Order: sequence, then structure tokens, then C-alpha cells
Amino acid sequence: MTKKPDPLETAESIGRAVRNRERSAVEVARVFVERAERSAPRLSTYLHRDGARTLEMAAEVDRRLESGEKLSPLAGVPIALKDNLCTHGIPTTCGSRILEGYLPPYDAHVVERLRAAGAVFTGKTNCDEFAMGSSTENSAYFPTRNPWDLDRVPGGSSGGSAATVAALEASLALGSDTGGSVRQPAAFCGVFGLKPTYGAVSRYGLVAFASSLDQIGPFARTARDVALLFNEICGRDERDMTSRSDATPIDLESLERGVRGMKIGIPRDLLSVGVDPEITASLDRVTKKLSGEGAEILDVTLPHARYSIATYYLIAPAEASSNLARYDGVRYGFRAKSDDLQTMYASTRGKGFGREVRRRILLGTYALSAGYYDAYYLRAMKVRTLVRRDFDQALLRADAILLPTTPTPPFKLGEKVDDPLAMYLNDIFSIPASLAGAPALSFPSGRTRSNLPIGLQLVGRPFDEGTLLRIARTWEKKSGDPLGVPPIANGGART
Amino acid sequence: MPIDAKVVQQVAVLARLQVESSEEARLVKELTSILSYVEQLQDLDVSGIEPTSQVGEGTKAPLREDEVKPSNVRDEALAQAPDRDGDYFRVPQVV
Repeated sequence: MTKKPDPLETAESIGRAVRNRERSAVEVARVFVERAERSAPRLSTYLHRDGARTLEMAAEVDRRLESGEKLSPLAGVPIALKDNLCTHGIPTTCGSRILEGYLPPYDAHVVERLRAAGAVFTGKTNCDEFAMGSSTENSAYFPTRNPWDLDRVPGGSSGGSAATVAALEASLALGSDTGGSVRQPAAFCGVFGLKPTYGAVSRYGLVAFASSLDQIGPFARTARDVALLFNEICGRDERDMTSRSDATPIDLESLERGVRGMKIGIPRDLLSVGVDPEITASLDRVTKKLSGEGAEILDVTLPHARYSIATYYLIAPAEASSNLARYDGVRYGFRAKSDDLQTMYASTRGKGFGREVRRRILLGTYALSAGYYDAYYLRAMKVRTLVRRDFDQALLRADAILLPTTPTPPFKLGEKVDDPLAMYLNDIFSIPASLAGAPALSFPSGRTRSNLPIGLQLVGRPFDEGTLLRIARTWEKKSGDPLGVPPIANGGART
Repeated sequence: MPIDAKVVQQVAVLARLQVESSEEARLVKELTSILSYVEQLQDLDVSGIEPTSQVGEGTKAPLREDEVKPSNVRDEALAQAPDRDGDYFRVPQVV
């Protein structure tokens, strides 16, 4: 019988113990690998998981420490990687058949950084195909389940990364967020998820979906752990010309300074689109608590945010249709057999891509095609400017904006899968910050009466991730409500 | 122009994406529903508004020295090819 997981065992404490040689990295890795062996098959959190490789990486960390090498605070910390992050020699499929068996010849920038830091990889997590989806049901392989209720979705597209941290199969995880793909699954699984400012983290080696929106972000069980992982991956990388040196590490101790005098804005106008009453109640509870801690709560307006979904579902598919042109069956991945080149392209793509990806490629191609460009794509880019200005205005008055991450708690598998528009509407609160390029954090704020996680979101000024984490840290300390452990991580839960 | 099966197939040709005739009806329905939803953008006055293609624009494009660096990924990259001939990717005959 393995020891019950400690929900408060942080990446920070694991890293410290490993660096101080109080625990070996192998010892830590074994605990997580054994836990994953029990729960991962039931949750379907991973597309590629190799316990032996994880233990080998941990042994290497122990050897490096033994030889006197100074390693980062993440040394020996088990970290899961979304399967759209390129890992040298480890399968990277983006949840797609078209990349089945693909072994990247290089590491993504963030993967390189984590290897150097001495992190230990638990595996590649399941996701919606090419990160297109909000439930992980669009994975070409299998859907992932929510650790809190196996009949429900973990959110998406980074559903595997969120679920694996919630189930304590990994201490931390990386995902990617284009319209909410880190924040929404973090909310659904009851963990922290940060979408950094656009440009804060290099996208080199992140398989591109919508390049003007994509950003890699951390999942963690505490605000401090989010900062720890963010600090390791942020900053300028010359291989991504949109990555910026303005992104600097966050001082962890600054997160302990409370919220006295801080101004937190609530976008009441946007909330009128409809929010589950239990989520509204949670928002009120957190607002009261932060006000009690000395924050000033004020109303802000984001008048164009309600147009965000329409804007996003033109811009993201347009960029995707262009980015995904590279999957042509020539250089890697799946190829359909044909004697004719044009037929080979069309057939490879028709068979290799799943429904949602094909739908978005068609939508994006249509929106960019002659005669429609001005009415759709160009207009969407102009509305994007209006959404950005709303945030600029609101954040002149407020230090951060507080709103729900999602309008509802996690929904059931199969509930929205046949209605793409209903699935898209679930992104109403996460997409605005994506269009604005602003940093946004989802943090666990409580649970519903039926014990499903609720997440709230903080949006801030560019490169001010620290303020968001400081507010979330204040709530975390005062809420007296640790994350808790879903029954499945204790070896219990129905199957 | 309303979306119909013919438009779907025209767009599919542009996207080099094979769409089976059995899928046409579903795609027509889904794309119509999404496009009618995005019609709401026509309600906004965007005259004089600059488009945002990327945030962080206006910052100077970063430059670096143009140096020769080893990459050494040729063999590994070629190993991923669905079909190859020595150091070449092989495709169906074109000419």
C-alpha cells in the first residue's frame, strides 16, 4: 500500500528536499510513477508515459547533484508536458493521427530549460487535437476524464496536464493556452493555471495552432509553485521573435505581501451573459475576502468582450488554416497512399485530421479567401483592437480584473461534442484576455455542492503576472481550503 | 453567400483537404451556424480602427548576429519521412 498523497506537498518543498539531499530524485519519482500507474489508465491523462524513462531522468538528477552541480528549485520535481511540446526522441503527436509516431529531432525551448533545471518528465499529456477544443474529447486517441468526477470532462485543450496535476500524478505540468486552454482545464480540475503575457515565454518547439495567441503556461497546486515554473521558462529566446526580455522572474516572497491598497475590478457588464449561480456565489465570497484583506473592489467595463468569441473563431481558425498547411504527408507523420501528389495531400489531410481540426481549417480558409477577407478576418482583427483597448482602459483604474474562468462547472463527456458552437460559447470568459495578450491566471476558489471544482480568473497588465499570483496567494492563505485530493488519487473512487 | 455543399468543396480544394460527400451536409450545417454567430461583428462600427494582427507590435524587431551554428538534425529529420530515397523525401511522381 502506497502512502496517501499529501495535497500540500508542493513542488517547492520537493525541489528543496532534493537539492538538500534529504530525498533522492529517484525516491520522489517512484512515488509519482506508482501513483500514475494506478490512476492514469482510468483517467487517460497521458498519450505517452514511460515510468522507466522517468526514473532514469531522476537518477541523472541525483548524479548531477552528487557531482556538486548547482541545480534550480525544480531539480527532481516531476513535471508533465502537453503533447504539443516537442521533446527530442519522445513521441509528440498533438493528440492527432497525422503525427502518430512522430519523434521530434529537437526539444522545445521550455523543454530545454526544464532539462537544464533538473526537472523530471512524467510523460506527454493528452489534449484536444492540435489544442483545438475545450474538453479533451477531440483527442484522436481517447478522452481524458475529470479526476473529481470520471463522467465529466477535465476541460481542454490541456485537459491531460490539468488532470494529472489534480490527481497528483505529477507535481507540475505545462500546457498551452490559445483561447483558454490552460485556464479552463485548471478551473475544471481544481488547480492553478497561468496563461502568461503574450511574448513572456518562447513558443519555439510548441506546435503552432494560432501563432498570435498561443502561449505556454504552467499548472500547479499553489500560487508559489506557478511562479516557480514560470520563472524557469520565461524570458527572451532568439528562436521566437515574439518572445520578450520584459518577462522577468517573479520574487516568490513578493507573493506574501497581501493585497492592501490594491484595486481589483469586476467586469459586471460581461457577467450579465450568464453565470452558474454557484460560480457567482464563489466570486462574491472571494471578493468579500479580498476586500476584508484591504483590497479596493471596483466595477470596470469591458464593453467589447462579448464580441470576443466571434472574433476569436475567425482569427484562430484563419491562423490555424495557415499553420496546419505544413501537414502534407511529405516530411513526417502519416501519409495516405496515392499515385498522384495532389490527391496524396488532400487524402492525407482528410484522413489524418479529426473533425474539429478539419472544421477549423475549412472555416479559416473560408474567412481568408478572396471576397471574404475584409468582412471576416480584417474586421475580426479590428474588433480585437477594441477588446484590447477595453483592457487598457480598465487596467488604468484597476491593478487586476477578477471574473469567473468559466460560466459553468465541468460538463459531462459527450454533452457538447456534437454542437461545436455550444462548446465555443464555454470560452466566453477566457478568450478576451487571449485577444488582448494579457496575463491571466485561473485559481481554485472552492467547490460546488456536488463537489466539482470552481475556478476564478485574474487578468492583469502585460508582464505583471506577479500581481495576479500575489492576489491568488492571498486568497489561498485566507481561504483555509486546501485543494484537496480527488478520491481517485487516494486509490479509491468508482471506476 | 450562403454555405452549401458546393462552397464546402471549393474551400476544401483551397485547403487541400478531402471532404467526403457523406460529410457535406453536416459541415454545411455547422459552418452555417458558426458563420451566422460571427455575423454579430457586423453590428460594430470599426471605421478608423487599426487591425491587431499581433500584440506587442510596434516594438523593434529584435536582431541577432548572423552566425553559422551546427544543427546536425538532418539524419534524425529524414528518419521521420514517410517515404525517402537516400537524403531525399520521396513523393508521388509529379512530372
